[in-house]
Amino acid sequence: MSLFDSKSRQVLKDPLMQDNPITLQVLGICSALAVTVKMDTAIVMSIAVIFVLTMSNTVVSIFRNMIPSRVRIIFALLVISSLVTLTDQYLKAYMYDMSKQLNVFLALIITNCIVLGRAEAFAMKEGPWRSFLDGLGNALGYGIILVAVSAFREFFGSGSLMGYQIISEEMYASGYQDNGLIAFPPGAFIILGLIIWVQRTIGKIEEE
Amino acid sequence: MQSNAYTLIFTSITTIILGFLLSFVSISLKDTQQINEDIDIMKNILYSLEFSEKDKPWTGEEVKILFDSSIIQKVVNVDGEVIADLVPSEIPIDKMETQFPLYIKVVNNSIDGYAIPISGKGLWSTLYGYFALENDGSTVKGIRFYKHKETPGLGGEVEKDWFTNNYVGKKIIDKNGGLVSIQSIKGQVDSLSPDAYHQVDGISGATMTTKGLNEFLMNDLKKYDSFFQKVRMELKG
Repeated sequence: MSLFDSKSRQVLKDPLMQDNPITLQVLGICSALAVTVKMDTAIVMSIAVIFVLTMSNTVVSIFRNMIPSRVRIIFALLVISSLVTLTDQYLKAYMYDMSKQLNVFLALIITNCIVLGRAEAFAMKEGPWRSFLDGLGNALGYGIILVAVSAFREFFGSGSLMGYQIISEEMYASGYQDNGLIAFPPGAFIILGLIIWVQRTIGKIEEE
Repeated sequence: MQSNAYTLIFTSITTIILGFLLSFVSISLKDTQQINEDIDIMKNILYSLEFSEKDKPWTGEEVKILFDSSIIQKVVNVDGEVIADLVPSEIPIDKMETQFPLYIKVVNNSIDGYAIPISGKGLWSTLYGYFALENDGSTVKGIRFYKHKETPGLGGEVEKDWFTNNYVGKKIIDKNGGLVSIQSIKGQVDSLSPDAYHQVDGISGATMTTKGLNEFLMNDLKKYDSFFQKVRMELKG
C-alpha cells in the first residue's frame, strides 16, 4: 500500500466536496453559525478543528485494537477533550484576544459531532495513516465552509474582509448600509442554506 | 469483549497519562497567560479613560508603557481619603471592603479623569469592568466591560460601543449633589425628561443584565462617593 493510493486520496478528498461534513452530513452547524461573523475567527477556529480532528483520529486509530469496546466512546471523548484543552491553553497564552473572541466555542469543539463522528465511524476501524487523512479531509471540508460563510458575512455584514475595510467611506456616505441581519446568526443560517442548495444542485445530489 | 479488569486498568492509565499531560501544559503556560490577563486589564482601564488605538492594535509592550506613563494608581478608603504608598495590587484581602483601587489619568501634570473597577451579577455571570469619570467627579468619561458570560447578542451587548457610548457625558449626581448613578432604562431615553441626564437606552432582551448593571454600578459608586464629593468640593474652591 503506497501512501497515496486511490483509496487514501479518496479518503482525503471526499469530505472536501462530495461528502462535506457541514453541507452534506449537516454536522457541526452550531459552531458554523457562531464563529463566522469575522473571517479571522473562522480561520483560527478551522485551524483548531484541523489540529483536534487529525490528532484525535490518529490517536484513536493507533489504540483501536487496545480500546475496550464498552468504553470506546469515553476513550475518544477523553482524547478529544484533552486536545481541545491543549488548544485552548495555547491560545490563551499566545493569542489572547482570539481566545476571548472564540470563548466558549473553542471548548465546544469537544461536542462537535464531526470529531466524535469520525473517531467512531472511521478511526475505530481503519489504520492510523488513513485515519489521519480522513481527519484532515473532514476538518478541511469544515474549514472551507466556515471560511466561505464568514467571508460572505464579514463582507455584507461589516463591509470588510480579514479586518480590512473593503467598502469605502464614500459608499457609506452615499447611503450604503451594512446588512445587520447577515451579521447575526440567522444570516449565517441563510447563507449556509444557500451554499447547501447551490452545492446540491451543481453536484446533482438527491436526498434518498 | 474484554474483561472488567482490563477495561478498568486501561481507562485508569489513559486518564493518568492525559491528566499529567494537561497539568504539565497548564502549569508551564500559566505565567504567559497571567501576563496576557494583566495587560488586558490595563488595556481596559485605558479604554475607559478615553485612550484609543488609532491605526493598529497596541502590542503588550505599548500598553504597559502607556499605562505606566499616564496612569497613577492610588487606593482610597470609605472616607474618601487617599492612602499613601499603597497600590491597588497590594490591598490586603481583609481590607477589600473598605479600601478601593483608583486609577487617575494624568495629562501634562494635571488630572484628566478617574477610573474605578466595577463588578457585579448580571443574569448568568459576574460582569467585570471599569467606569471612568471626568476630573469634575460627576460626568461620565467612559465605561468598559472586559469579562462576562452574558448571552452574546443580548446581555453580551453591554461590551459594545453603541451601548457604552451612551454613558459618556451623563451625570452621576443630581442638582443637589446627591448620588443617583446611571440607570439603563427600558427602551429609549426621552431627552425631554428631567431624568435624562442620568439615563441611557437599555438593551432589548437583556432586562436582567441591565438591571444587575444598574444595581452594581450604584453600589460601586457608593464606595467612592465620599472621595468624589471631595473632588467636587475642591473644584468649587
